[in-house]
Amino acid sequence: MVIGEMDSEADERAGALGGKPRYDQGVVRDDAQEIVDDPLRLIDPKPGRSSSTSRVDSQPGDSEKLMREHSIRTNRRRKFVECITREDVDIAQLRKLAWNGVPDELRPLVWPLLLGYLPLPKPTRASTLARKRREYSSLVETTFMRGRDGLDQQIWHQIEIDVPRTRPGVRLWMQESTQRSLERILYVWAIRHPASGYVQGINDLATPFFQVFLSAYIDSDPEEFDTALLSDSVRMAVEADTFWCLSRLLDGIQDNYIAGQPGIQRSVKRMAELVARIDAPLAAHLDAENVEFMQFAFRWMNCLLMREISVQNTIRMWDTYLAEGTDAFSQFHLYVCSAFLVRWSKKLQEMDFQGIIMFLQSLPTQGWTDHEVEMLLSEAFVHYSTWHNAQSHFGGK
Amino acid sequence: MTEQSNFDYLFKVVLIGDSGVGKSNLLSRFTRNEFNLETKSTIGVEFATRSINVEGKTLKAQIWDTAGQERYRAITAAYYRGAVGALLVYDISKHATYVNVTRWLKELRDHADSNIVIMLVGNKSDLKHLRAVPTEEAKAFAAENGLSFIETSALDASNVESAFQTILTDIYRIVSSKSLEQSEDPIKPTSGDTIQVSHSVDQNQSQGGKCC
Repeated sequence: MVIGEMDSEADERAGALGGKPRYDQGVVRDDAQEIVDDPLRLIDPKPGRSSSTSRVDSQPGDSEKLMREHSIRTNRRRKFVECITREDVDIAQLRKLAWNGVPDELRPLVWPLLLGYLPLPKPTRASTLARKRREYSSLVETTFMRGRDGLDQQIWHQIEIDVPRTRPGVRLWMQESTQRSLERILYVWAIRHPASGYVQGINDLATPFFQVFLSAYIDSDPEEFDTALLSDSVRMAVEADTFWCLSRLLDGIQDNYIAGQPGIQRSVKRMAELVARIDAPLAAHLDAENVEFMQFAFRWMNCLLMREISVQNTIRMWDTYLAEGTDAFSQFHLYVCSAFLVRWSKKLQEMDFQGIIMFLQSLPTQGWTDHEVEMLLSEAFVHYSTWHNAQSHFGGK
Repeated sequence: MTEQSNFDYLFKVVLIGDSGVGKSNLLSRFTRNEFNLETKSTIGVEFATRSINVEGKTLKAQIWDTAGQERYRAITAAYYRGAVGALLVYDISKHATYVNVTRWLKELRDHADSNIVIMLVGNKSDLKHLRAVPTEEAKAFAAENGLSFIETSALDASNVESAFQTILTDIYRIVSSKSLEQSEDPIKPTSGDTIQVSHSVDQNQSQGGKCC
């Protein structure tokens, strides 16, 4: 099934020009239903589809650099494919590979494996997936059985306010169909986690999963895609997978969202202590200007930097976080936040209180690509290796 | 890089009220003359400033916009400290946001300076056909509780300037009369007009445990 303005042949040509083509509504893959049933289908070579195979062929005058990059990409992809097509995936190997970034087209398969949502042994995967999706469907059904009046009004009200404010301006998220999916995901999660319920910012955290899982079934840009084009079974698969993976991520950071938000308080405090050690002049300057870490880093923890960097950047960052394990979203993250702050050290040290706060509220990361994110992750890793086990250096303990 | 510090008074003001009543847009309308229908929710607090002139003096407002959701109260309440003014915002088209004003007043009583100047702000006055809170009712409530009152629309900009102008002027009057009374006090600075009414952040230095 191909929906959209161009036929599949033209689609492949467009793909060969590099980047995902943009259409008025988007293009659903012919084999979407097969991928629902068996996500390993994503690996099947489809000539012209994968961005890694198309570019070089069409450009005879490729420079050596491009050729080299291409071969590195192909090589990396092959390693991933080898790893995830084994009868039983070696998780250590997968983590190692994923730390340095997952190829876009394999991410919908790799993330669930890293999260433990998709079982590592191949034979049980399809049945587990089918069961988890059924389970989600029935959760949705029972939760919304009694209509609006049967809902927790306070939680529902907050979700209703926030869903239209999730990635405002991005077509995918402005659509009725996507917004209803997000509402269900957030509400079902909230009532199953009464200690926290829905907290603003959790909506942001659902979006990378949704976009990544959606990308498995379509041949166009997920952010421009009209989810009304999806069949019910594909939509439910995207929604259920998003729900379960979001749940796993949040399991590791629930302390961030319960009363008093102790997880965030702790992380911000530790971040301040860490920055005092890795960049003493910056810490002293912030202190002299009466800037408190809570004034800017609260959001960095609450939304995992999603308000500071693009979703594309976030997705690349999560490759590494997921490779580190789910506690990376609280542990490793604070090292990333520290490295992120220190990155602007020179600028910040020339600013006064107001300048600092305003600057940290709208950081110039608009042009950031994977490269900047990877630099940040490497810097964070260096700090992590140095300090993580040096607990006695932290006053709070 | 940063705004020159040529102001006579620096006032810290907080924007509080339920989620979705338009606090962030009131702030962006006042400080940047911008309104955005597609605004993300505020997480924790956000900050902006603007200076205005009152009776020949430059008043600089340092405004902290807070997240409306209950869960954030623990975080946002810390910003009430040192605030000399609060704009307590509700949505004239959502009655529940007006009902909650009482709870917000309690928050302020519990966490803010007892002399804080409070203004009740009924926002979204452009939504005339959806009005759920009568102006007179809110006005009477404000009078009973010693608050000033205004209806605004961040969308069509009506009364936004006036709301901030009024509360900043009120604060200025109180502060300038106080500094007059205290001008004999030898501890207070007597030279010049600059009074840092708001030491917004310096009370918390003891918060983080330092390494040995």
